[in-house]
This record gives sequence, structure tokens and C-alpha cells, in this order.
Amino acid sequence: MTDLVDSMLDLMRRLPPTRVEENVNALVGMCPDYADDLLGSVDQPLKVMVDRATGKEYLACDYNRDGESYRSPWSNEYDPPLDDGTVPSPKLRKLEITANEAFDTYREMYYEGGVSSVFLWDLDDGGFAGVVLLKKALKPALSSEPSGSWDSIHVFEAAERGRQAHYKLTSTVMLQMVDRATSKSDNVFPGKEKDDRNEVKREGEVALSGSMTRQTEQDWPLQDQTSHITNTGRMIEEMEIKMRNLLQEVYFGKTRDVVFDLRSLDDLEKARRQRELQKELVGFIKTR
Amino acid sequence: MDAEERIAAASKFLLQAPPGEINDVLNDVRNIVSDDHVLQSGVLPALREYNLAQFITADVPGHQHQCIVSEAARLRHSDTEEEGENEIADRFWDPRSRTSFRFDHLSLEASDPQSEDPDSESEPFRAALEAATISYLTTHFHSGVASVFSVPDHADRFIIQVVANKYNPANFWSGRWRSEYTLDLADRTVSGKILLNVHYYEQGNVQLETTHAISLALPPSISSSTAPASATKLLALIESEESKYQESLGESYQAMGEKTFKALRRALPMTRSKLDWDKVLGYKLGAELTANKGAFGTA
Repeated sequence: MTDLVDSMLDLMRRLPPTRVEENVNALVGMCPDYADDLLGSVDQPLKVMVDRATGKEYLACDYNRDGESYRSPWSNEYDPPLDDGTVPSPKLRKLEITANEAFDTYREMYYEGGVSSVFLWDLDDGGFAGVVLLKKALKPALSSEPSGSWDSIHVFEAAERGRQAHYKLTSTVMLQMVDRATSKSDNVFPGKEKDDRNEVKREGEVALSGSMTRQTEQDWPLQDQTSHITNTGRMIEEMEIKMRNLLQEVYFGKTRDVVFDLRSLDDLEKARRQRELQKELVGFIKTR
Repeated sequence: MDAEERIAAASKFLLQAPPGEINDVLNDVRNIVSDDHVLQSGVLPALREYNLAQFITADVPGHQHQCIVSEAARLRHSDTEEEGENEIADRFWDPRSRTSFRFDHLSLEASDPQSEDPDSESEPFRAALEAATISYLTTHFHSGVASVFSVPDHADRFIIQVVANKYNPANFWSGRWRSEYTLDLADRTVSGKILLNVHYYEQGNVQLETTHAISLALPPSISSSTAPASATKLLALIESEESKYQESLGESYQAMGEKTFKALRRALPMTRSKLDWDKVLGYKLGAELTANKGAFGTA
């Protein structure tokens, strides 16, 4: 029998990315014993929270959760408040503050809006790990305008080795775009005068969604603690550029190609006849 | 969750299966539910709903062609009343070969063929529509199946259905094109829809899902008295609409790529170059100093 978690992950790889939250909840309900395995391996869209102390938005995920509460990267406070919530060591918190400021700049440069959050935590072996979260949603004023959302989750581990640091990065991007074609009307037969009798009404929606995960391991020089921010910053920037490009050119391009593979705009019958004619001609020339 | 809730959840998963992946989803669900007895009888309604909605095709017993198994293909006969409930629900017919058959929603096999007499009033126009539809199918679809149905008790109403599937699990993609048109010669209207599903899952999970509804008034030249000519004209209209739609889809892709994608995340910052991370930390420091100075100045 195949491992249960493998079946769950295979299922999530097949079902629509737009319904990942609903489907993960259903799986957790069906197999509560495997909830932690599933929640730890399937990324879900990030929730936007508001820091009560600063009024600033931050992102919630499994990495800043303690029980039912989420920690804000801006005030370091849990919401709902926790007296003994897990927080990074003072040294790591200092780095976390600087990282949040740096990725806030990164977010503004690439996303021109949206929300970012960075969370760091100490590892038992002396190193540390962190997650960089970015989210942007397009909420159109009119239903006819396109809507969409981008979520990225970058989880990394850092291990210092003298004047070098080794980083392991796992990045997931979740993307959704919906284009609602406004209902257009025109004549059935071009050239004829337009009247109600030969009007065409068209209405539709195009939804593209996707999620993908990539990993990389790299070594970078270490001058001081802030080097960790410039190092992971460069790695994450490079990774996001690569993944954005993959999604746009390879993944979305592929779905478009499949559509044109299902139905051809050109007359296939004509092409078939031409090929046959060509074959005949070749045969005719050969026999001469 | 009790057994009933587990089946309800499993059924929801099945109904979301991408083209050609129903068996993969069923295998996963089987492993997760791990109770074949409960599963087998429990998910049959979901499999039936999926097959009918997705225009699943069947090899017509005793014939060399395939037909569409859908709600429109369901046989409604007074003399089937004696048979069991499932028997009525799962008998379909292929008007092209005038054959009805039983359809197994799990194995997707057709069996027990019986010949069916068509409705004499609507059959000539239906047959003309079928010929024109099959000709249209071979012109634009690489591997499509079409069925044309008359509607019981509505001699001037017809349903045209087209489905094209491409499954390529070795290269991690699959796609399905469905279109359906209801022609009403009494109301003089055609209304239809085009539905597309594409799944690409090589090291990821990317899906395209589209809906497109069309409704138009029939041109005066289309009438039941000139069946073959009217059928050809109607299919020319459908051909033009579907080609237009396909072209507009190409434009949607371009708009999404250029506008929506960029509005979510730019390929590069406005400066057209990557961030200078050493400066990002420096800039922050600079911005803080300026802010502090300002605060100091107004104090």
C-alpha cells in the first residue's frame, strides 16, 4: 500500500490550486492523525493580519503561529496575546527587525504594494532558520477588471562555517489570475446592418492558477550578521525572478499550447489534403 | 468524520479531477478512505456526475465510432420503468448509430446494446446537423468526438455536443475542450457554452479553467425546411464563434502576461536592475536618519 501522506500529496498536486485551503481542510478532517504531516508539506495562501500595536499589516503562516496566536514581525507581539509565546533570542530578533526592513524595501521595488513579513528562529545546532513571506492581491474596483494574487513563501536554513555561510532555500510561489471578458456584442454576419435579430452575446471568464516549489543550496561569504540578509536577499531575489519567468513562459505558455493542440485555428482537413497531394507529387516525380 | 462525511469529502475530490486524471484521483482517494466497500458504492453518484458533466466518451458497442455520454444522451423511455433505478439512470443512446447501451461509470465501458428508433419528425434535421457537426469536427479538432441529440417532446430543439481530449501523463499535461449548443428553431435562438480545462503538473500544479457563454438569434436563412443547407450554415456560425473565442483567449493570455502579472509582481524594479542589497541596508539606515532628523527638527 502506498504511503497515505504520498497519496494526499499526489491528490493536492492534481486538484485545482485555487481550492487548496478547502481541500487541505477536508483531508485534515478525514485523517486527523496526519494533520501535521499534511500542513507541514502543503503550502497554503497567506493570511493578512493587522498588528494591533503599529497598525501595520503582516502575514500569518505556520512559522509565526503558537497555538491559535500569530506573532507580528513589527511589534514582536502575539495576537491573540500570549504571555509565554515563542520569540527569537534578542540577537536573532535584532537581525529579524533589520531583515523585515530590508524585505519591505524589496517588496516595494518588485510588488509596488502588498505585504511582506520575515520570521527567524534559532536552531538547536547553533544556526538559525527563517521564512520570508510576500503577498500581493489585486482587488479590482469593477468586476470586469482582472483580479489576481501572488503568494511567495521562502524557507531557509543558515549554517555559519567560519567566514562562510551555507544556505538551504525552499521557495514556493502560488499564483492566481482571473480575466473576465466583458460581454461583447456584434453582428453575426459582418457587413449587414446591426439589429436585435442578429446580435451575439458573449460572456466568459479565464482563470489561470498555479503553484510551484523549487530548492537551492548555496555558500556565501559572511562579514557580519547583516551579511545573512544580503545573502538570503540575493538568493530569494534570484529565485523569484526565475520562478516568475518559469510560470509566465513555461507553465502558462504550456497551458496555452495545449488549448491550441486541442483545437486548431487552421483548417486541418485542408492541411491533410495538401499533405496527400504532396505525397502524390513526390510519388509522381519518383516514377518518372 | 463518519463514513458518510468521508464519502462526501471523497466525492468532492473526484468532481475536481483534471481531464484524464479521474483514475489517479480515485486511487489517491481509495488509499485515503481505505475502505473499498464503503467507497465503491458511495462514490458512484460522484463518478456519474463527473462523467456526464465532463462529456466522457464511450465506444459504441458494435460500431467503429465513439459517442458522448452526457445528460442529453440519457435515455428516457416509458418501457424502462420496469428496470431498476440505476438501470434507467445509466442507459444512454447514440443517435448516430441508433443504439442504446448501458454505461459503467467506473470502468467507462458500454454494454448491452439495443437498437432504438429515432423520432421521425425531428430525425431528418438532427441527421443533417450531425453530418455538418462531424465535418466541422474533422476540420478543427485533432481528436474530437461529437454527438447531436434531439430533445424528447420538443421536435424543433436540438443539442450539439463536442468534446476533445488530449492526455499526456508522460509529459505531465492534459487538456479538455467541451462545447455545447442548444438550437431552438421555434424561438429562433442558439445558446451555447465553451469550457476549457488544462492541467500542467511537471514539478508544479498549473491549471487553466475557462467558461464562455454565447447566445445569438438565428439568421432567417436557417429553417427546418432546408435541413442540410441550414445545418451547414449553423455550423459555419459555430465555427466562426469558436475561432473568435480561441483568438480572444490568445489575447487574454497576452493581457494577463503583460498587465496582470506585472501588477502583481514586476519582472524587475522600475530601475530595470536588481536590488543592490548592500545599499538596501544602507538606504534604510539613511531613511531612518532622515526621519529622525525630521522628528528632531520639528521637536
